Amino acid sequence: MELSEVKLKVKQVVARVLKTDEADISDDANFIFDLGADSMQSMLLIAAFEEEFDIEMDVEKAQEVQTVGGAVEFIADYL
Amino acid sequence: MGKRTDLHKKNLQTIFYPESVAIVGTNKVKGTVPGDIFTNILQAELNGVIYPVNPREKWIGSLKAYKYIVDIPDPVDLAVIVFPSTVCDRALEQCGEKGIKSAIIISAGFREIGEKGLEREEQIKAIAEKWDISFIGPNCLGVINTDPASRLNASFARKFPAEGNIAFLSQSGALCTAVLDYAQARNIGFSKFVSFGNKADISEIDLLYYLMDDEKTKVILLYLEEITDGPSLMRAARDVMEKSHKPVLIMKSGRTSAGASAAASHTGSLAGSDEICDAAFRQAGIIRCDNVEDMFNIAIAFAYQPLPKSEKIAIITNAGGPGVLTTDEAIRQGLKLAEFNEDTTGKFRRSLPTTANISNPIDVIGDARADRYHAAMTGVCQDDNVDGLFVILTPQSMTDIEKIAEEIAKVANESRKPIYTSFMGEADVAAGIKILQKHHIPHYTLPESMCKPYAATLFFNQMIKQKAERPTVFDDVEKGKVQKVVNENLESGKTYLSEFKAKEIIETYGLPVIKSGLTTSEKEAGSVAESIGYPVVMKIMSDDIVHKFDVDGVVLNVRNREEAEKTYTRIISNVQKSMPEAKIDGVYIAKQIENGTEVILGVKRDPAFGPVVMFGLGGIFVEVFKDVSFRVAPIDKESAVNMIKEIKSSKMLLGARGRKNLDIDSIADAIMRLSQLALECPQIAELDINPLIVLEDGQGCFVADTRIILTN
Repeated sequence: MELSEVKLKVKQVVARVLKTDEADISDDANFIFDLGADSMQSMLLIAAFEEEFDIEMDVEKAQEVQTVGGAVEFIADYL
Repeated sequence: MGKRTDLHKKNLQTIFYPESVAIVGTNKVKGTVPGDIFTNILQAELNGVIYPVNPREKWIGSLKAYKYIVDIPDPVDLAVIVFPSTVCDRALEQCGEKGIKSAIIISAGFREIGEKGLEREEQIKAIAEKWDISFIGPNCLGVINTDPASRLNASFARKFPAEGNIAFLSQSGALCTAVLDYAQARNIGFSKFVSFGNKADISEIDLLYYLMDDEKTKVILLYLEEITDGPSLMRAARDVMEKSHKPVLIMKSGRTSAGASAAASHTGSLAGSDEICDAAFRQAGIIRCDNVEDMFNIAIAFAYQPLPKSEKIAIITNAGGPGVLTTDEAIRQGLKLAEFNEDTTGKFRRSLPTTANISNPIDVIGDARADRYHAAMTGVCQDDNVDGLFVILTPQSMTDIEKIAEEIAKVANESRKPIYTSFMGEADVAAGIKILQKHHIPHYTLPESMCKPYAATLFFNQMIKQKAERPTVFDDVEKGKVQKVVNENLESGKTYLSEFKAKEIIETYGLPVIKSGLTTSEKEAGSVAESIGYPVVMKIMSDDIVHKFDVDGVVLNVRNREEAEKTYTRIISNVQKSMPEAKIDGVYIAKQIENGTEVILGVKRDPAFGPVVMFGLGGIFVEVFKDVSFRVAPIDKESAVNMIKEIKSSKMLLGARGRKNLDIDSIADAIMRLSQLALECPQIAELDINPLIVLEDGQGCFVADTRIILTN
């Protein structure tokens, strides 16, 4: 999968889980500081990414990912 | 005070009295830290404007929320940060950009979780320094100010406490919530309530200096789990005591940690970190408390009543047993039962029944009502021989408990002497206790519990009156010479200095060392002994041998040249048999002082308080009874003399049973010189002078043996 496609899907998942407008999600947006995710939503995001990309992530490492761009790179490594 | 300390003092004013507060990372969810902090700030009716900051919400409660701190259009005094630790750096950075100088970081996930957390903590410290921000936390419960001028509850505590004159500072957040509950049940209010968590920026020392000038605070309570800078803590508590006459009460956990077990010297093994902590606190006028109950027992005595002038107390009781129990504890705490003057006993004879005991403790008898308590209390309050009053009540069928409580409040209101009470029981006396608490009369469940608070307040009053003496700095010492000897030894890998070298060091600091010499042959031993004069002591000298007696390496009472020569050979032979691998430097010969008393002096370097000096009587007193005293260096003359007088066996030095007084001044001088050596030579880890032989008053003292352990 192309990196641009991964980014597009990541933003769609983030917008869906955090109930925010996809257009407001920048590449360097921080899930907590910029998008307001709380700890529960962070877990939901991980689960949603796994489902969307049909992958199984290292949860501990996934929790360290803070930004949308970081998530794109992290997921791409699994694909 | 340093630059950051001055800054903290200024910024603490906006932490406690903000006109506007941004709650950064708050949300709408009740039962979560971010949500509850918002609710608490709102419900406490803060005297200021509140700005919720949340990246997603437009409104929180009825307040407009901002995506970022920098989006808030108005100036903000204080940021309360409740974001997860991973983004606290960004939040604090924005505080800096916004011009906010004060912050409370509630979030956990810093130093307390390990290396990654420590890195985050260092990051936020650097950001705070860059923007001149002062912050409390992280990893804390928050801050409460009950002053109506502020009414700040930036915490996730369950309740907002009543207004009072006690400030409570705690390193543990969980203890804070328990303390709030405990205090509410006893009608105890607070001026300021601070959980400072990891104290990454603002520490207990900064808070002490702030509270020193806080008009709403009369007593400062502090719970500490670790002391990071003992000398600064001592200085701050001393400043608070001297400048504002406010007591600092500290509950320090970790009493049982065994830090002394591996020590190589007497001083090292006797000076456990907890004993040093006790001594350091006393030296600084700090009252050490054992637990929460003990702390509040003492705190209410300070907060509600005048300080006692002397140890002379009167006990009024309607029950004999509790009176005796209280007397026992009073004596144990160093208090005395006052002897009433004739005028007082005359009044009692006229106003109390013949069956009453009119001497101290006064027993007004089981059927006493308020009028009898009134007569007894007014009588002792007017007696100049009495400086404090303990009132005990047990509930009998005729006891008018509430009326007696009102009467006590009335008398206390007009008296300048401290009055403490103990209404024994629970259900029957509850209404009376409430009256006492309402009128700020300290009440204690057990009558014996009145004694320790009285002793603590008396100690504090005496400390206030003691003028702090500037420690003497001796200029007849040779700091450079000591440093040279120490460096030479450390460079050659030697950390243990035996008697000969150790004496060289302490002699340069003016400590009187016995005439002595190191000999390496039988013949030399004879001539050195001759030149010293008899009797002499002869000892093996080897860096490999710490306990010379154990290898038959010490001979006392050598009285002539022939004996000295033979003893030399005997000692060498003994040691070669016991420890053939030991490298022997020779035999050390010293003048044997007769008719002296042996004491021990020592130095240990404590990780929290720095160099500490120990004093004790030699022999069995130090070995078995551990009868020693400590002071943190520097030590002034008065403290040195007090160190000598406070050991239990001090009477042995002060002319007990017809003995003449020993030369206390010369010991005090040695203590002060040792204290200076310890401060000026940080490579000395431990030092023993054992024994220091003390002669009669005016004849001085002499170091007979000493050893030093160095550290890099």
